[in-house]
Amino acid sequence: MEYMPPFEVLKPSTIDEAVALHGQTPEARFLAGGTDIIPNIRRGIVAPGALIELSGIAEMQEITQTEDGGLNIGAGVTLAQLETDPRIAAAYPAIAKAASEVAANSHRNVGTLGGNLCLDTRCVYYNQSEWWRSSNDYCLKHRGEICHVAPKSKRCFAAFSGDVAPTLMIMDATVDLAGPNGRRTIALPDLYQADGAAHLLIGKDEILTAVTLPPNDGWATGYAKVRVRVSIDFPLAGIAIALKRDGEKLKAIKIAVTGLDSQPITLAGADALANHPFDDALLQSLEGLLPKQIQPMTSTLTPPGYRRRVSGNLIKALAKELFATAG
Amino acid sequence: MSADRPAIARPAGKNALIGERTPLIDGAEKVSGVAKYPADLDATGALVGRIYRSPYGHAEIINLDVEAARKIPGVVAIVTGDDCDVTYGILPVAQNEYPLARGKVRYRGEPVAAVAAIDEATAEAALRAIVMEVNELPIYDRSEDSRAPGAALLHDDKPDNLERSVHTEFGDVATEFANADIVREAVHDCAEVTQMHMDPHAGIAEYDVERHRLLLQSATQVPYYVHLMVAQCMKMDKSSIRVIKPFIGGGFGARTETLNYELVLCLLARAAKGKVRIKLSREETFFTHRGRPRTKINMKIGMKKDGRFTACECTVEQSGGGYGGYGIVTILYAGALLNAIYDIPAVKYDGYRVYTNTPPCGAMRGHGTVDVRHAFETLLDKMAEELGIDALELRRRNFLQTPTTTINGIKVTSYGFPDCIDWAEEASGWKKRHGQLPYGKGLGIACSHYVSGAAKPVHWTGEPHATVNLKLDYDAGVTVLTGAADIGQGSSTILAQVVGEVLGLGLNRITVIANDSRITPKDNGSYSSRVTFMVGNAALEAAQNLQKLLIEAAARKMEAKPEDIECLGEIYRVAAKQGVEMSYEDVVREALVDTGTITVKGNFTVPREYQGGKFHGAAVGPSMAYSYAALAVEVDVDEITGRVNIENIWVAHDCGYALNPLAVEGQIQGAVWMGLGQAVSEENRYFKGLLVGPNVLDYRVPTIKDSPHIEVKIVESNDPNGPFGAKEASEGALAAVLPAVANAVYDAIGIRVDDMPLTPERIVDAMVKHERDTKAQRQAAQ
Repeated sequence: MEYMPPFEVLKPSTIDEAVALHGQTPEARFLAGGTDIIPNIRRGIVAPGALIELSGIAEMQEITQTEDGGLNIGAGVTLAQLETDPRIAAAYPAIAKAASEVAANSHRNVGTLGGNLCLDTRCVYYNQSEWWRSSNDYCLKHRGEICHVAPKSKRCFAAFSGDVAPTLMIMDATVDLAGPNGRRTIALPDLYQADGAAHLLIGKDEILTAVTLPPNDGWATGYAKVRVRVSIDFPLAGIAIALKRDGEKLKAIKIAVTGLDSQPITLAGADALANHPFDDALLQSLEGLLPKQIQPMTSTLTPPGYRRRVSGNLIKALAKELFATAG
Repeated sequence: MSADRPAIARPAGKNALIGERTPLIDGAEKVSGVAKYPADLDATGALVGRIYRSPYGHAEIINLDVEAARKIPGVVAIVTGDDCDVTYGILPVAQNEYPLARGKVRYRGEPVAAVAAIDEATAEAALRAIVMEVNELPIYDRSEDSRAPGAALLHDDKPDNLERSVHTEFGDVATEFANADIVREAVHDCAEVTQMHMDPHAGIAEYDVERHRLLLQSATQVPYYVHLMVAQCMKMDKSSIRVIKPFIGGGFGARTETLNYELVLCLLARAAKGKVRIKLSREETFFTHRGRPRTKINMKIGMKKDGRFTACECTVEQSGGGYGGYGIVTILYAGALLNAIYDIPAVKYDGYRVYTNTPPCGAMRGHGTVDVRHAFETLLDKMAEELGIDALELRRRNFLQTPTTTINGIKVTSYGFPDCIDWAEEASGWKKRHGQLPYGKGLGIACSHYVSGAAKPVHWTGEPHATVNLKLDYDAGVTVLTGAADIGQGSSTILAQVVGEVLGLGLNRITVIANDSRITPKDNGSYSSRVTFMVGNAALEAAQNLQKLLIEAAARKMEAKPEDIECLGEIYRVAAKQGVEMSYEDVVREALVDTGTITVKGNFTVPREYQGGKFHGAAVGPSMAYSYAALAVEVDVDEITGRVNIENIWVAHDCGYALNPLAVEGQIQGAVWMGLGQAVSEENRYFKGLLVGPNVLDYRVPTIKDSPHIEVKIVESNDPNGPFGAKEASEGALAAVLPAVANAVYDAIGIRVDDMPLTPERIVDAMVKHERDTKAQRQAAQ
């Protein structure tokens, strides 16, 4: 086994308590399901003296209806719950689908919504043991000076690999954060930036506590994921689409992607295709949104050219499928 | 059980064990978590052993400084290359590896030093305090680079970085190619793959400083070979060493030779004067490797218009890694088993085993034959199509007429191959479905074979190939003592069944004790699918010897002639006399009179005529029996992602006779599943000699959820020499998986992808290229 350094586990029962505990132990990290951080601890990527475990905070484990008919989902809700909750399945099937395709069932039973949104970025030069990384002079994301994926780059290209984020982005979700300076709510895309070494715009002392979804007013939504093993792999690319149909025309469409850059990305320019006939030309235009907006790199063993090409294929296929089923 | 399987002759009322679906006798311990694997063994008082590994892929060691590490409180011992100046290796002719590197390192991850410390944190700190200064040399990941003119030599005595080249020709190849109506060639590049044991390598060693004795328990398939190498490297008397093999999470050929960590563990235990445990991480298990080498193949086949083979010419180049290991045997197997499945009048083979700066490769399941079989069976499929002959019919036209001796001196005595093909054809709906499925769906078939135990052992000692001891005592229980390593394949269960069948006893009366060098007779180990055939035969002889004693005792007591005694297991009776009988326990009591505890032995030796021809390299390939398999795969190729989804598998395997059909099915399914990983997703890749993704996430071994339905048909050809007719059951079907998948992909999308694995990106690349080529052809035609 790889060596697991010792750490303390702190167990707050409220959000305020968790924030206060972090104030007392600034080097601590928040722990939800642990499916991301524990392997990283074993690999010597992070070495927190303490972990503040969030699973005992009741208000973070709930799914509640909002006044306007949307949903508020606690960040501690597990992916397995997202997969099976009837309210999510009914109004937001893309979210349920994305959750159902994260890793394997044992991961989904403990992995959480908040954890999936705050997933560390991944790269084949980064998700390796201490020995491996030191043998390779480390990398720009951690301890090193060179990005092995793009040696001349000043930026890290590790890929964001959470499945759920794009399915929330197409629904205009917001996220609630709690920290020493109080609570705040931001649009989900504002949680991220295009830098694999610092992709989360959330303070180390802040907790993502909940996600709020507005009601779904008629969007047909779906999620499609590419991976080699359907049983367990992270997305090589993940595509979420929400669309509305008006007869033979596309009334509106929103597309968000994951796994293709250091952050999940809502594709700009999709709104310009509203009210176009749903034909091959439109599908080409949808695919055409991709190349300038995503930058897959050799951060996985599967080459970026494949990921780019297949993402285009997927957008077309998923849009067709949703258009066919949309009312 | 199928109705048509031949019955074992046994008197009415005698207990039956052979041929019955029998749960493994150690299954309860495994599924309940009670079984102790090496990492679970009692480590009370054990120090933590850790290995310092070379971060360099190819370098001369200028200086290795372990003094700072030695001074860390809690560090009990440090060993380096200075502590062992003896090389080791599985093949007596190719031992060029030190347990800890001396003078030079040849792959990234190679052990250089090791630490025994009071706890993990101390051991970790000690590793970080070790400093190695080197003079770096060029790193060659691939055989084409290390064979290039002017390349630096990994081993000074091996020019061109060639470990071994093999050149054989049987029959008149030039004439037979000239006789062919069509001659076709194909080039393949099959990626390196590695085993994925349930448990990363681990072991525990205890050095008794008073008596200078050593106990080693480790995850091995070959405790006897490990014993020899420990004695050699430790310069200890073999009798001072005891080797025990506990439960292990599979072998698959990586553990078929002594591994460096086992020797390092022993060196550490002696240096620390006590008990040390090493648990390798998954990553370190990858660096220890001994998997299947990356293999480039050039396959050329000549055929008559009617589909009859005239000749085959095959060139193979393997990127074998930094040390010899099993390499010579691997490159020989790759050529030898071009024969013994079809009748090919002339076969030429040129094999090149090449050193590379990567972890050493080894005897992975289907040793040497898998990638070559892929090349052969896919080219056969192409040529069948070109000639307009059904691919199965073409195979039928090339069956061996058995019994026979092949052109390279291999004897084939049982050949259930035709039945395998018939069943795969029928079960998969081949006639109606091949070539008829909608775009994206495809059906492919391929075939393969394998040895039932290498006829020549690695060490030629003149001893029998296998020995089994039986002990019978006052409790009337029969204890089977065997050195055969049960590595999950169920060999201990088979031996219990064989002994129980002969004696007519239930498994309740039989106990198997395996793999303790102090107690059990020597066995060469679990490799080349030898155990059921060889050790099974030895157990059969041992049980017959014991039965003879029991019958004599019963005859004595009942005042009859031994030949008139009928053994029903729990009852012995005089056949002709109604009602004159004795219970088994009374027979045992009588048998023990005057002699006390009974110990009998059974041996098995492969007769000389089965040990192959006289040419150089003839020792590899011969076996007393060969298994045969035909395998059909149904795939769904996703046009959008290029993913090859395996929907169904039908596999027929001729195992001679299924001693335990339940275990046989499990072994065949395991082999097929392992082949599937290699066919669609598994691949070792290197970045300047550094294995990229040495973990279960990046190395995409299929999970149980990725497994399709695998329908198994056991074909029973009743081998004349196997125990109760049995032969190999766990490797033969593997090699058919790769070509069957490739043939099915062609049936699905009309594109041949010759390299392996058929990952989504390879498929998409091939589809893009195909589209481009088709367009260019169309334009050229206009």
